[in-house]
Amino acid sequence: MFLHIERGSSTPVSRQIAEQIAALCAAGSLKAGDRLPSVRQLAQELTVNQNTVLRVYERLAADGLLDMRHGEGTFVAGNASRRRFEKQRRQFIDELGLVLRRGLMLGIAPEEVRQLCDEALEANAELAPTASDREGG
Amino acid sequence: MTEPVIWLHNVRKSFGKQQVLRGMNLTVERGQIFALLGRNGAGKTTAIRLLMGLIQRDGGSIAVLGSDPQQEPLQVRAAVGFLAEDQQMFGWMTIAELLGFMAPFYPTWDRALADRYVKEFDLPRGQRVKHLSKGQNVRLGLVLALAHRPELVILDDPALGLDPIMRKEFNRDLIAHLQGEGATVLYSSHLLYEVEPIADTVAILHEGVIIKQAATESLRSDVKQFVLSAEDYAEHRELLAAIDVQRQRAEVAATVENAPATLDRLAAEGIRPRVIDLNLDDIFAAYVAGHTDAPAGARALGPVSVSA
Repeated sequence: MFLHIERGSSTPVSRQIAEQIAALCAAGSLKAGDRLPSVRQLAQELTVNQNTVLRVYERLAADGLLDMRHGEGTFVAGNASRRRFEKQRRQFIDELGLVLRRGLMLGIAPEEVRQLCDEALEANAELAPTASDREGG
Repeated sequence: MTEPVIWLHNVRKSFGKQQVLRGMNLTVERGQIFALLGRNGAGKTTAIRLLMGLIQRDGGSIAVLGSDPQQEPLQVRAAVGFLAEDQQMFGWMTIAELLGFMAPFYPTWDRALADRYVKEFDLPRGQRVKHLSKGQNVRLGLVLALAHRPELVILDDPALGLDPIMRKEFNRDLIAHLQGEGATVLYSSHLLYEVEPIADTVAILHEGVIIKQAATESLRSDVKQFVLSAEDYAEHRELLAAIDVQRQRAEVAATVENAPATLDRLAAEGIRPRVIDLNLDDIFAAYVAGHTDAPAGARALGPVSVSA
């Protein structure tokens, strides 16, 4: 599991870790049943306080993304479905709003912004779920 | 055990006419990594020297591991791993000799650990202490502070004199060895972006008092910058109770301490400010150098920031 922490970022370290783990799950790099590094291990790897890592694991477990089994370790939850990413989804929408706002403030016309969005979507077409992947829309 | 490892209550200390600490309060719980932040001259080193019983306080109370360092300085110093800001060691000894000399003072001295640090910190064992560079001197001080596996470690600006790679190693050691083994660490630092991922709790010492002590994570979620129109700001100035206010034409950027609740109360009034996340540097600056443009011209406005 490869995570990158940006120090001094305005995004708190805990959120950076949580988002990246959620993203790895969403992208399928982490699959149901995969074992995550122990709190100690990940804390040392990232040079981050152990309590921070523990809180991230606990929060993701409460969101249903991870499964913390006492004495065994932390695993990706078996039923981590798309619905579990509601929080990440909302965050993405917020961030997208900020990015669009910046573009408009730079004087980029709304039509051009739309076109840029389409181009970006096109470039990442292979990531887009097909209709059958979606759970009831 | 619920007794705090370090406890300061209303501690005062002056040097001549200069009052350095003016009623400092601080509580450090067991097992915490605790960062003491402050500008140069804020009183960090004075507070640390008081904790070690190296100087006498003018008033207030201090307990370190249950002892008053003023009454029992030797007991405190034997139990605490300490690195001073300008640590002086016997210059005529070599590093190897100094380590051999220090070991018998501590029943818990771990020779293997000392050797490992010497190697990791790239210290030349045969070199005389007086010929070490500033950075090497700090690293040797760290070896001496950590090699007896103390339950409490107090470090006065340990990052000073370490290059970025060594700082990273040192931070990793803080987590792997000290936090991993349940030790309590209090350290002062200027490098806020490095403190954030490491420290459980931060305290900001400013002009001789602690103006803020909070869990690092809650500080980040509680203190945010709200950008709103000048009229909305003027109308809700008291509700916002900002610690820093920056004006730019028709907008005001106000740094507030209790962001989630304040946001709810503003929303109830139909006001939705743009919320900006702040990093620890920004938060620190807002506390120690914030301008709040108090009404009635009580305080002159500082220079308007170009960012925001």
